Amino acid sequence: MPGNPTTARPPAHRDLLESLAISFKANRDPNQVLAARTAAVDELVARAAVEHVVAAGGRRFTIAACGGYGRRELFPYSDIDLLILVPQESDIGPLNTVFSDLPQALWDAGLRVSHSVRTVADCVHLHEQNVELHISLLDLRYVAGDASLLDELSGKLEEFYHRHAHVLMQRLAELSRTRHAKYNDTVFHLEPNIKETPGGLRDWHLLHWLGLLMPQNEAIRESALALRGAVEFLARLRCYLHFQTNRDSNLLTFDLQDSAARELPDNPLPTGEWMRLYFKGARQISQSALRALEYAETQDTSLAQQFRDWRSRLSTTEFTVSRERIFLRTPAQTAASGEGILDLFAFVSRHGIRLSWDAQRRLRAEAPQIEPRVAINPPKWPHWKKLLDQPHSALALREMEETRTLNALIPEWNAIDSLVVRDFYHRYTVDEHTFVAIGAIDDLAQAKPSPPHRFRELFEETEERALLRFALLLHDIGKGTDPGEHVRGSLNTARTVMARIEVPAGYQETVLFLIEHHLDLSLVMSARDLDDPLAARQLATQMGTLERLRLLALLTYADISAVNPTAMTPWRLEQLWRVYVLGAEQLKRELDTDRIHSRSAGHFILDGNLTPEAQAFLEGLPTRYLRTHGRDEILRQVRLAGQLGRHGVVVEIKRQSDAWQAIVMTADKPGLFAMVCGTLASYGMNILKAEAAANHAGLVVDQFRFADPLRTLELNPSEVDQLRLTIELVVRGELKVEDLLKRRRPAPRPSHGASIQPMVQFNREASDTCTLIDFVGEDRPGLLYDLASALSEAGCNIELVMIDTEAHKAIDVFYVTRNGAKVPEADEVHLKAALVRAAGGH
Amino acid sequence: MKKIEAIIQPHKLDEVKEALKGIGVDGMTVSEVRGHGRQKGHKEVYRGMEYDVDLLPKIKVELVVADSRLDEITAAIAAAARTGKIGDGKIFVFDVAEAIRIRNNETGEAAL
Repeated sequence: MPGNPTTARPPAHRDLLESLAISFKANRDPNQVLAARTAAVDELVARAAVEHVVAAGGRRFTIAACGGYGRRELFPYSDIDLLILVPQESDIGPLNTVFSDLPQALWDAGLRVSHSVRTVADCVHLHEQNVELHISLLDLRYVAGDASLLDELSGKLEEFYHRHAHVLMQRLAELSRTRHAKYNDTVFHLEPNIKETPGGLRDWHLLHWLGLLMPQNEAIRESALALRGAVEFLARLRCYLHFQTNRDSNLLTFDLQDSAARELPDNPLPTGEWMRLYFKGARQISQSALRALEYAETQDTSLAQQFRDWRSRLSTTEFTVSRERIFLRTPAQTAASGEGILDLFAFVSRHGIRLSWDAQRRLRAEAPQIEPRVAINPPKWPHWKKLLDQPHSALALREMEETRTLNALIPEWNAIDSLVVRDFYHRYTVDEHTFVAIGAIDDLAQAKPSPPHRFRELFEETEERALLRFALLLHDIGKGTDPGEHVRGSLNTARTVMARIEVPAGYQETVLFLIEHHLDLSLVMSARDLDDPLAARQLATQMGTLERLRLLALLTYADISAVNPTAMTPWRLEQLWRVYVLGAEQLKRELDTDRIHSRSAGHFILDGNLTPEAQAFLEGLPTRYLRTHGRDEILRQVRLAGQLGRHGVVVEIKRQSDAWQAIVMTADKPGLFAMVCGTLASYGMNILKAEAAANHAGLVVDQFRFADPLRTLELNPSEVDQLRLTIELVVRGELKVEDLLKRRRPAPRPSHGASIQPMVQFNREASDTCTLIDFVGEDRPGLLYDLASALSEAGCNIELVMIDTEAHKAIDVFYVTRNGAKVPEADEVHLKAALVRAAGGH
Repeated sequence: MKKIEAIIQPHKLDEVKEALKGIGVDGMTVSEVRGHGRQKGHKEVYRGMEYDVDLLPKIKVELVVADSRLDEITAAIAAAARTGKIGDGKIFVFDVAEAIRIRNNETGEAAL
């Protein structure tokens, strides 16, 4: 039986390791350890060959070192890979027992040996299922026996590798990609395996092997030379880990990080600082390995590859796309301004295509000059929005960090770049966690099959996607400045960054809200009784609006998903969804029940000083109004209400970013909401959002956000006044909507095969005085007019409404009455049928 | 020795842990589970659509205790986990044949 190497190691080998440990502690020189152990093992193997094989009559055989042993890179507790080479198959049989005795003797000597006995012919026969054999033979080195046999093999191997380089590279690439995927394709693990994790020693080996398989590739050789410092750092660290643990352990645990930071540098460093050195080197190795890997993979001239080059059509005046990579036409010009850089990465974010290695190198070189430049003239929010609105934002932001341009544009980012914060559950550094979280949102945007359906729907309904990603980008940035109080730190940094890039005030509030509350839903999930009505009320109060709740639910989904690959369990997913639904239903109920009392509203908008006009205007409007309108907008609408004029109606239409807004104020009257919807439809406008409510004085405030798909208002400014006047005349009863609609071709109704079948749900419990109707269906121009008309024709009065459309889906909430009371239960069936018919359902 | 398996409401975990800590019980295994007993599931309405929520999120707390402490510990769990409503959960008790501490091979109650 082979002895246990750790307990039955003979004195000679144990002494060697002990003396190497002492000298390593003194000089921290990994090369000396590797060379000394390799030489000692060579000697042991050669002696064992004489004692066991030669003594048994073996003559024509060679013992060669493979893999790391072949490269003379034997770390203190590394395995020993041996090839026993014989001329022919018939030579194996007589010496079979002897060839087994040899490794056994080495095991007894305290070495962990793997060996194989092969003929020369076998070594140059392609084993596609055992490509590891051919890779290990790349580092073949003579140790004992007949040297001429190895010379013969070496000559044939040269030709073998030349002939099969392509297939070997493809298989090696597959193995490497699988290994990377096992570690979630990231260097940035809190406790990395310094051999196997991307950027570890295995990636260095990969570069070495690809260099041997592509001897003509100068770039690989050059990049290998440039990595000498990073590789020596890892080699030193691996020696240290082996000596500390007395085994072949390559896991850099938190405890070992502390001691390594004290003992390995010339002067002890704080652990965090030393870990940044580790990540810096690992990142360099990883990038070089990926570059070589990509080169190996693209040595494919097949038709399929040529077809993949179709993306070159995406090239612009500034970038060229070739072989799935972006090349810069004018790098200096692109890097000259923050806007240029963000536009470049917006392109990455939009198409999911990475920068070429050359583009990365050039940007990295420019990064030190970028920071002072953008400090004077930072790129503003619209450029960030353009990037963060796209479905590959995580990729773009990662590449920005890789090229240091993210750090240049947001210098505060340096605080969390490669930052290790010790946490039992978290797997990644803070920056990587942030990218993984944004990636979880991107997965929802890309409709990948794995994300859960409900949250994808929620994302599709979300308009402020850039804000969501921006909040995620900054949600943990305070971990670098305020450990233990990171929410406060993140808020402070977010305020500074947003002021610098001029994020509009309303958006700033949303981002700050999301950062401040980014842990709240997790807390509700685990610490609140979700069946307790008080929990729902408190949640609704805390969130304020459905929009905020939706964004926070998505942010929480992403944040939990990025803790580690298995953190978002079905259990947590279910709990988070329950919390979201709990809050959403409560907020919807409160639309009607939670009304403004102007005395308390004063605190919101005028520091307690409300004018009588403002008091009268606000009294009785839904509280939501205060939460969705800023102070200035509220005061503007108060003034607007003062312009009702002799006809008792005021209409305002104005541009609102990429859409238009119409506000109609008048005394309530039957069918009012349908009239305005119909007028907008008659002008070809597509209503995106709408809200309508009345205050205690009976003044109705209808607000519409609508798209102008034919750009009528933009190209014909006089049409804005015309539309305003038309709405006014319709509301005054001087024009009929039906006549207006006759002028237009009817909007197409969805076919019966429409992807979203209309759904109508009645809720009699939500309000004391109204019936709540939930409607979800396929959106189309004129839909809201048809629904509102159906309600009017059924004798219903719309008391309050909230309309939202996203991704071709209309999500409408109507609070209606009939004859001043709830709709009789018996009439719900007919009303439901009328609404479904109006929506084109069946 | 007895093994206690308590299925409780998620929001009651902290209270149960505190209660156990208060009587000197620190060791336990906690897992997130889904299921239902008499509470069954329920329907949730979202956007006009009804969802059947048949398996509800719960927490399972497992611990092995000396026979002499069983009543005290189950009482502490029950008191801390109780809200009085359907869905509070259940406590199951099993006989345990043996316990072995892996580190030093201690056995029986000494291993707890």
